[in-house]
Amino acid sequence: MISRRALLGSGAAVVVVAGAGGIAAGTHRLDDVARSVGLKPRAEPVASDDTLIAKAAREQNVLLGLVEAIVARHATLAGGLGPFAQIGQAQVKALGGSDKVPGAPDVASDPARAVGALATAYDTASKARAKDAGRAVSPDLARVLSSMSAGLAQSAQTVGDLR
Amino acid sequence: MTSEEALQQWLALEHEAVWFYATVGGRDAALSATARAAYDAHVAAREDLLERLHKAGVEPTPTALAYGIGVPRTTSDNRKIARGLEARVAAACLTLVGLVEGADRDFATSALRRAALAELTWGGRPSAFPGLPA
Repeated sequence: MISRRALLGSGAAVVVVAGAGGIAAGTHRLDDVARSVGLKPRAEPVASDDTLIAKAAREQNVLLGLVEAIVARHATLAGGLGPFAQIGQAQVKALGGSDKVPGAPDVASDPARAVGALATAYDTASKARAKDAGRAVSPDLARVLSSMSAGLAQSAQTVGDLR
Repeated sequence: MTSEEALQQWLALEHEAVWFYATVGGRDAALSATARAAYDAHVAAREDLLERLHKAGVEPTPTALAYGIGVPRTTSDNRKIARGLEARVAAACLTLVGLVEGADRDFATSALRRAALAELTWGGRPSAFPGLPA
């Protein structure tokens, strides 16, 4: 079994580096961040992976913002959605995303509809991360994205059951 | 590890799953329908892997004489064993993801998703990174 520490830690430099420096949109900026924190950059940095990480981090951050907005709007869902906020934070962190979520999105006034929209958003994100995994050059990045896709599919199904 | 070794590792788990769900389905009435569906899914996965290995000219790993996951006792035990088994399948798929590209990686990612959802079927809870140890 692959070690979680190895994949989300020092072994997945391409991801760890993003975590150390936040979303790095600039080409190969991840490698500069790597050096700054004492990590060895990848031997052959791949710009397309940098772009994939930045895109995934941005989208996961928006998803986390939706979870938090629903909890803020519907206090009765706070308990049920609490674990999903934690999962979302872990996923954003692995991609080096910002702790600051974007502006609050629109949330349906009906809790069931709000939860339904969240389930749909999880499903969309799951499919997007699966596609990203297929495009990743780094094997470690592919694994992180693939695993994240599976986790988002779990969230989609479980959140859907909250309706 | 090579991609063929990863496929073999995964296949060994599918053999185990087919054995386990057949056993549970026959002994635990409360789980028989769920176990039957899981059995069918793992038989299909096993056949798919066997075909891939045969096409690659590789002799597939055979079934084991016994599996060390204990004799099923209570329904709760069976659910726990099933969750562990699906988690190991997910981990095997995740290993393969990093060793292959293109359609083969998509195949492994889809299977990882199935295993992660199967964990829920047996009472598992969603996690950020299925396939990775907690």
